[in-house]
Amino acid sequence: MKIVVPVKQVAALDDECELLGDGSGVDPDGLEWELNEWDTFSLEAALALREAAGEGEVVAITVGDEEAEEGLLSALAKGADRGLRIWDDELAGAAPDALAVARVLAAAVGRESPDLVLCGVQSSDAVNSATGVALAGHLGLAHVAVVKGLERDGSALTVERELEGGLVERLRVALPALLTIQTGINEPRYATLRAIKQARQKPLELQTLADLGLDGAQVASASGSRRRRLAPPDRGGGAEMLDGSIAEVAARIASLVKERLG
Amino acid sequence: MARDPKHDILFEPIQIGPKTLRNRFYQVPHCNGAGSEKPGMQAYNRGMKAEGGWAGVCTEYCSISPESDDTSRVSARIWDEGDVRNLAAMCDRLHDFGALAGIEMWYGGPHAPCMETRATPRGPSQIPSEFEINIHPRHMDEDDIVEVQQMYVDAALRAQEAGFDIVYVYGAHSYLPLQFLSPFYNKRTDRYGGSFENRARFWKECLEKVREAVGDDCAIASRFAVDTLYGSSGIQVGEDGVRFVEYVDELVDLWDLTVGDIAEWGQNAGPSRFFEENHEKPFTGQIKAGDHTNKPVVGVGRITNPDTMVAIIKSGQFDIIGAARPSISDPFLPNKISEGRLDDVRECIGCNQCISRWEIGGPPLVCTQNATAGEEYRRGWHPEKFHPAANRDRGVLVIGAGPAGMECAMVLGKREMAAVHLVEAGKEIGGCVNWISLLGHSDGKENLARGTARGLGEWTRIVNYRQIQLDKLTNVEVHTGSKLSAQDVLDYGAEIVIVATGCHFATDGLNPATHAPIEGADASLDWQLTPDEVVAGTKTIGNRVLVLENEGYFMGASVAQKLAGAGHEVHLLTQMGDIAGYMEYTLEAPMLHRDLHRLGVNIRPYTMLEKIEPGACHAYNVWHEAHKEVFEVDTVVLCTQRQSNDELYRELKSDKRRLQAEGIENVFLIGDASAPRMIVDSIFDGHRLAREIDSPNPAMPLPFIRERRLWGEASNDDYRSQLLNTPDVVVA
Repeated sequence: MKIVVPVKQVAALDDECELLGDGSGVDPDGLEWELNEWDTFSLEAALALREAAGEGEVVAITVGDEEAEEGLLSALAKGADRGLRIWDDELAGAAPDALAVARVLAAAVGRESPDLVLCGVQSSDAVNSATGVALAGHLGLAHVAVVKGLERDGSALTVERELEGGLVERLRVALPALLTIQTGINEPRYATLRAIKQARQKPLELQTLADLGLDGAQVASASGSRRRRLAPPDRGGGAEMLDGSIAEVAARIASLVKERLG
Repeated sequence: MARDPKHDILFEPIQIGPKTLRNRFYQVPHCNGAGSEKPGMQAYNRGMKAEGGWAGVCTEYCSISPESDDTSRVSARIWDEGDVRNLAAMCDRLHDFGALAGIEMWYGGPHAPCMETRATPRGPSQIPSEFEINIHPRHMDEDDIVEVQQMYVDAALRAQEAGFDIVYVYGAHSYLPLQFLSPFYNKRTDRYGGSFENRARFWKECLEKVREAVGDDCAIASRFAVDTLYGSSGIQVGEDGVRFVEYVDELVDLWDLTVGDIAEWGQNAGPSRFFEENHEKPFTGQIKAGDHTNKPVVGVGRITNPDTMVAIIKSGQFDIIGAARPSISDPFLPNKISEGRLDDVRECIGCNQCISRWEIGGPPLVCTQNATAGEEYRRGWHPEKFHPAANRDRGVLVIGAGPAGMECAMVLGKREMAAVHLVEAGKEIGGCVNWISLLGHSDGKENLARGTARGLGEWTRIVNYRQIQLDKLTNVEVHTGSKLSAQDVLDYGAEIVIVATGCHFATDGLNPATHAPIEGADASLDWQLTPDEVVAGTKTIGNRVLVLENEGYFMGASVAQKLAGAGHEVHLLTQMGDIAGYMEYTLEAPMLHRDLHRLGVNIRPYTMLEKIEPGACHAYNVWHEAHKEVFEVDTVVLCTQRQSNDELYRELKSDKRRLQAEGIENVFLIGDASAPRMIVDSIFDGHRLAREIDSPNPAMPLPFIRERRLWGEASNDDYRSQLLNTPDVVVA
């Protein structure tokens, strides 16, 4: 069983991040990078399926610059068998949107002919929830989004989707397929120091757009959006500072809650 | 990060007499165990606070005469030229970092037992100290009064020579000037007793004479307990409290205000389990609020929150934020607020371990939150600087994220080890703190004099600070919910393995009194519990409970308090003369006893169990074993002793060739896993190992500088050659 896990190295955004002066993005200075939280769950799901099958291969793929290699190494350390990073000067200029990334991934994933593709539901920095399902579209794969439960049943999977209001939809999906995995579906493992060292010995390939038979124009034409400007929201009113003893503050909070609830 | 503009007010300079404090942060006098006889420790411990931004830093109480000798508790002394020389080292270091130096001139009267000097203390009236054993002062006649006042003057002149900027006439905590003022001590009928003016005369004359001697050059401060909490038999804030401030206000450049006395000074250095931040406000806050002074006022109350500090200054409670414990816990509190680094502040948890070591008499101060407290000179440790380890290319596995493991991993991270993995079996980091912090409260009723049984919730600051620091360290990974076997450890790929797996309570009654298990003790039964099981709530607890407390610290008493507060009928037995003896040293005992008594807990000292049966515990008096008693109870809590969880360590060590084959250079054992101890000492143990992880044998602590006298000719280099080798502390 061959499982491809597309992953993303994301910026750890906290309240101290700053926007570039022209609003074109987040100032990369001082940002710290980490593997997208959702991808740790999709990777764990892939590793668990491979282990349960007793055979197979888990391939981690990412689109990103050198910083993204750390994310792949992290996936390799946790147990992925090999890694593929796709980067190209043509991608460095204009940051590709989720649909463009899906187009690039489609070229790479297609060549792998996997039995299963496991994406995270979303990335914690861009929060589009689009890459996975767009990738399924490009590949013509059956897909299920926001999966919170997963069991293999021969050549098919039984999956549970998380819906609004606590509803769960249970589906049976024939392979090959693409799932986007929700956090909490499993307990992602961590890599030991030895596994982190050994990850550097695992195959990690770098490919350009040309290697995948793509060019910049094809990628650009796949884009569905253009980022015009990032700006912090206007500061709203309505905050009230409460002073006084603990009992006074508690009483005031209680009365405010009652007032607002009507 | 920049400072939040709302905190700017904390950094406005303020004039005190002829001197200027650069900001509003002030280390009030507090003991540290250095005195005048460990000048290196004194200079570097206080100097660290000056480096961290405090504007004024004081000595502890500083004796002005051999008649005021508190041995075995360590005070500073300014008796002669040698003391001038030793305390000048502290003044110089404070000045190097831009702070003012204060000296708290102290004459103890009957509260100074003079066990080293064999001198006779003098007092206003011949009544023995209420807490020293059998110490009667000599009744002072008017010649004595003149003589003792001259001692203040001579000491002030020596202080000026040493370089002090602020000179205290110290009365608070019921020392001599306050003994004259308070009718609790002063029974005189001459012109130094009786009316307010007569009782205030001694203190007023001291201030006049000291001001006359050094007032042009030094700021004159006075530390005053505005209320001694003895009702009408002592000083009450609404009476003599405000009256005295108004009476001598012209003679004082700085008021340092407190509450209570030395017999129960936990009312002043309030432990967090009974007192909240800024707890003295109802008393000390009246002086400025009532417009009773024209002079700057400093006060305390374990104030660590900068917003509280701003509110205190803006509301006119104090002009200056005083701190003893918060300055020990974080000597860099002012600079961190100034730099907007609030998440780096190491907040005091109010455990009073710092105080306990002074109360014991002799040991240097310690701090649960700041393992470097008191180690600045003798070990060259800096609370904020960590030089990279010589073996920083190694990977480290720390097993167990309790106090020792968290601290060790944090310091190793700051020492730039290549990779540190802190792996915890539980769902959260924190170890024993996670359940201990749920103890200490009772039924929430506020009828304990000034405080209430608030519990040990503030102790979670131990975890919070370390969690935030660990999150920031990119070379440290924390993994929870992962219990490692010896095989897992061998396979982990770490060159250095540190086992910090904590401890557990004995389940069979093994105890320090008999060194044997107790017949019938078995915490695997559903009616016998260890203390952690009381908190976990996994067993049903009957109405009648017996708590056996053999440890002598907070555990047994806190369990009794919790259960009695929940309505159980509780018997609390100990083999010792009192329950929770160590809590005398942490100043928690008086309030604890009030709460236990109020809750109806049956406290039985000198009592031990010989046998436990369903429904009946068979006890005996330790001095008279034939004196037996049966307690009919439903549930027994065994707080007898703890035992290290060291199986993993022993298993790893049992096959040294295997360790070698896996590339493991060393396996260390720290904290409770090595030997159960107080949290303060577990954290120190973890810190110590990390500080010395690149020493020739990290398992053995490096020698530290001992400030004993060297016989014959000696120079400072004979002491500090080791310090010069530690690059974190700047050597003047």
